[in-house]
Amino acid sequence: MNASTVREKATAVQMFVVTLAKITGLLKIPLRTNSGRIGLSVLAVYSIVVIFGPWLTPYIPTEYDLDHRFESPSLNHLFGTDHNGRDILSRVIAGARSIVFISVIGTALGIFLGTIIGITSGYLGGWFDQIAMRAMDFLLSFPSLLLALLLITIGLQRTSLDESWLIIAVIGIAFTPNNSRVIRSAALTIKPLEFVQNARLRGEPLYHIVLREILPNIAPVIGVEASLRLSFALLLTASLGFLGLGVQPPTPDWGLMVNESRTHLSQAPWASLAPAFAMGTLVIGVNLFSDGIRQSLQLPEDRGQK
Amino acid sequence: MNKEPLLKVENLSVTFFTPRGTVTAVREASFEVSRGEVLGIVGESGCGKSTTAFAVMGYLPTTAETGGSISFEGKDISSLSKEDLRELRGNRIAMVYQDPTTSLNPSMKIGIQVQEVISEHLNLDQTARDEKVVELFESVGLADTDQVGDRYPHELSGGMQQRVMIAMALACDPDLLIMDEPTTGLDVTTEATILDLVASLKERVNAGILYVTHNLGVIARVADRVAVMYAGQTVEQSNVKDLFASPKHPYTSGLLSCVPKPPGAGEVSSRLKRIPGFVYSLEESDVSSCLFAERCPLADSECTTVSPALKFIGQNSEVRCFHSDKVEPDTWGGAEERISRKDVASPTVLTGTGITHEYGKRRKKYMAFGPDIDLPVRALNKIDFEMPQGKTLGIVGESGSGKSTLARAVVGLVKAKDGSLQLNGKELDKTVEKRSNEDKSAIQMVFQNPTASLNPKLKIKNTLIRSFMRFSKLNKQESEERAATLMEEVGLDPSYLERLPSELSGGEQQRVAIAGAFATNPEIIVADEAVSSLDVSVQAQVLSLLEDRQQELGNSYIFITHDLGVVRYVSDDIMVVYAGHIAEYGPSEAVLSSPSHPYTEALLSAVPIPDPSAKPNPLRLEGAVPTMREEFTGCFFASRCPRKLESICDTEAPPIQKIPGNETHVINCHIAIEDLEKIQA
Repeated sequence: MNASTVREKATAVQMFVVTLAKITGLLKIPLRTNSGRIGLSVLAVYSIVVIFGPWLTPYIPTEYDLDHRFESPSLNHLFGTDHNGRDILSRVIAGARSIVFISVIGTALGIFLGTIIGITSGYLGGWFDQIAMRAMDFLLSFPSLLLALLLITIGLQRTSLDESWLIIAVIGIAFTPNNSRVIRSAALTIKPLEFVQNARLRGEPLYHIVLREILPNIAPVIGVEASLRLSFALLLTASLGFLGLGVQPPTPDWGLMVNESRTHLSQAPWASLAPAFAMGTLVIGVNLFSDGIRQSLQLPEDRGQK
Repeated sequence: MNKEPLLKVENLSVTFFTPRGTVTAVREASFEVSRGEVLGIVGESGCGKSTTAFAVMGYLPTTAETGGSISFEGKDISSLSKEDLRELRGNRIAMVYQDPTTSLNPSMKIGIQVQEVISEHLNLDQTARDEKVVELFESVGLADTDQVGDRYPHELSGGMQQRVMIAMALACDPDLLIMDEPTTGLDVTTEATILDLVASLKERVNAGILYVTHNLGVIARVADRVAVMYAGQTVEQSNVKDLFASPKHPYTSGLLSCVPKPPGAGEVSSRLKRIPGFVYSLEESDVSSCLFAERCPLADSECTTVSPALKFIGQNSEVRCFHSDKVEPDTWGGAEERISRKDVASPTVLTGTGITHEYGKRRKKYMAFGPDIDLPVRALNKIDFEMPQGKTLGIVGESGSGKSTLARAVVGLVKAKDGSLQLNGKELDKTVEKRSNEDKSAIQMVFQNPTASLNPKLKIKNTLIRSFMRFSKLNKQESEERAATLMEEVGLDPSYLERLPSELSGGEQQRVAIAGAFATNPEIIVADEAVSSLDVSVQAQVLSLLEDRQQELGNSYIFITHDLGVVRYVSDDIMVVYAGHIAEYGPSEAVLSSPSHPYTEALLSAVPIPDPSAKPNPLRLEGAVPTMREEFTGCFFASRCPRKLESICDTEAPPIQKIPGNETHVINCHIAIEDLEKIQA
């Protein structure tokens, strides 16, 4: 082995260590505050559930057991059983995967679109800004659930997309206006700064100014916005499931589970309460996490939420 | 009579405990203030001046630990209870802060704010309070004392706001008045009027004044005695006249010799002296050496091992140096000759003709009809200039006079409404995005705030190599090599390339910004207040750097500043702008000597001169630059002109007068040149 390959290996190891240090450094941000600590631990528990779900379920989530219908919580069935005798704990665990997957990817899509549109229109200003922002206003004028219903109905008729991917696309589109407004206003505070003007004087192309000069400086804002949007995405996905527009039965889904057991609420309240409780803790966890980041980065309190 | 001084600070030290480590802001500060005298505390930023002032007020946060003692009329302040301290602060000690806009409550009328202080500390009924407010406003020289109290802070100019702050401080006839950089954010013209006020207060009120500033000119104007602080220590304390005439500490001597001398007759023949290095880091805690040793030309082995104590050298004078007897005018090197460029003819690089710019749009009340409701701000009005190659054009004026807009119009960051720019005879596009690569690289800019000029998230390297890659079409590695050489040329270690801007000091950041501007190999660099936010010692370093680069590369500078000392030092030509108009334009010495435009004259007389024996020129400008929304019916300067003639100044725009014998020197004024010469003699 000659010296240069050794050096290359050494730099590769160095790079790896640096990246690792950066990630652990980022994780330390929410850990600086109490709410961040609680939020992060809730999220850690849910991550385990999502990743190892199939190995954690005590029963097969879709298996009917008509002898044990409406069983109240016991050691056999920790969360009880539903009207078909299925184990609710298993169904809650199995349902976590789809809702988290859909919400996370949907939020990421919304943040991606919102970041590009927000920074570009904030930096460029003028007619581009006007057109982009009026388009966003147009989307904003629909309540997000209504917009989602509309887009899914159209999507189901016109495209051959899977429902999960449709919901992801819908979440992305429904959240882009809010994201882009927040990110645009953050970009507007960076735009007049001298280093951006310097980049203009150097004749930098638009993508460089957007991605290298402005984006890294508003990354904290985007991080907080993303974690905040995630909780709204979770709620939207669950609402769509409840309305029967999400994953189709018998696949377990939290929103769908609440809907299915709604009629048996007096007989077996646990069947609706368990998925609702899972939903609630997850959303609270995400919110605490996002509060934690915001507090430790000392960003201003959030503007009107939607 | 009581011989006890009013305020006695002994061996004060202030340490802040922060999550990032301890910061020792003040180490050993000792000074005294007596009744009826002004003690000036002077030093560069980071030397603990303001912290000392706050410590005297007892305003430090709880994370601070103080040592030493502060006694007020013989009583130790730290032994006082909270109640007593509160009583002391309002009634006996008062403070005036740097920024009047944030010190006043924007939603309360100023009269009420002053009354609040009075009702808190004095037992007066409503009519007596009203009278007291009017009396206070009179004593600080506010016009219209009966009505001014009904105004909100935003309706007053910066100078008037600072007067209100001083009135509030004087409300309870304090025994000690602390002023922390009260004129730093103000224009020279306003600063001069506030300094007049402080000087007159000295005679009127029987109080001690502690005046904190970084400006030696201001100190010379107001102080009786001066304490010089360096890295949290008082290094020299003396009578103001002695201090300026024969400084005993090498730091004081260095500070005095690196300030560009204020405008006077003749060309600047010798270069500025420079103090190398930067202020001693406050995070270091050991004091087993002289803190100034590493920057000091007189330092020897003793200085780096033993910490010098304050020693008395004659009446009321103390100095913290082993070698105080060796400090002389040549301590910082003898006079370095400057190459005179006065008579060197050079071709014109850049010409601007009729540059006009307006901010905002004209709007009518009902869409296209009715009276105008929103007039644009006329920021620039038909500015013409010529930029000779290898020379420096200085642009001076108060804030709001259009200097920065002109700079931005030249580089193309704002699109000028009208007029044309020609680079070497070729028309330049008005916006930078539309200019060719060649034109872009020919004009670069250095901004005022070095911290904001560098992307905080990018390493220095990643900012610097961009220009090489774009304009010289080099690959990444070659660019990095070029960046390293460039760093050496601006006096920085190439290892800095791997650092983030936040790891550099302000002066170093400005060097990097200058390196960035030079990276495109420009013909013209526009420096917008490029040295204004730097400390004097760093300012001298940066000015020398710019000068060296110019001699080497022969590029031209457009140098925008409000500091007339700096502009005199750097410029070959000077343009004086007021309200978007050229008031006077010509070769540097000609502009700064008589005859000059009344506005130039007023600017010159307002500059504080770092020489306590100098007699202040009584010519003052009141008010501020007009908003420039209305079209001027007569002369643009008529509303504030101290030399205004009768009606003609209000009705006719001034003619452009050329000075006989010097065709390049023009004055835009109604007053005949001979008359100007006579009144200014």
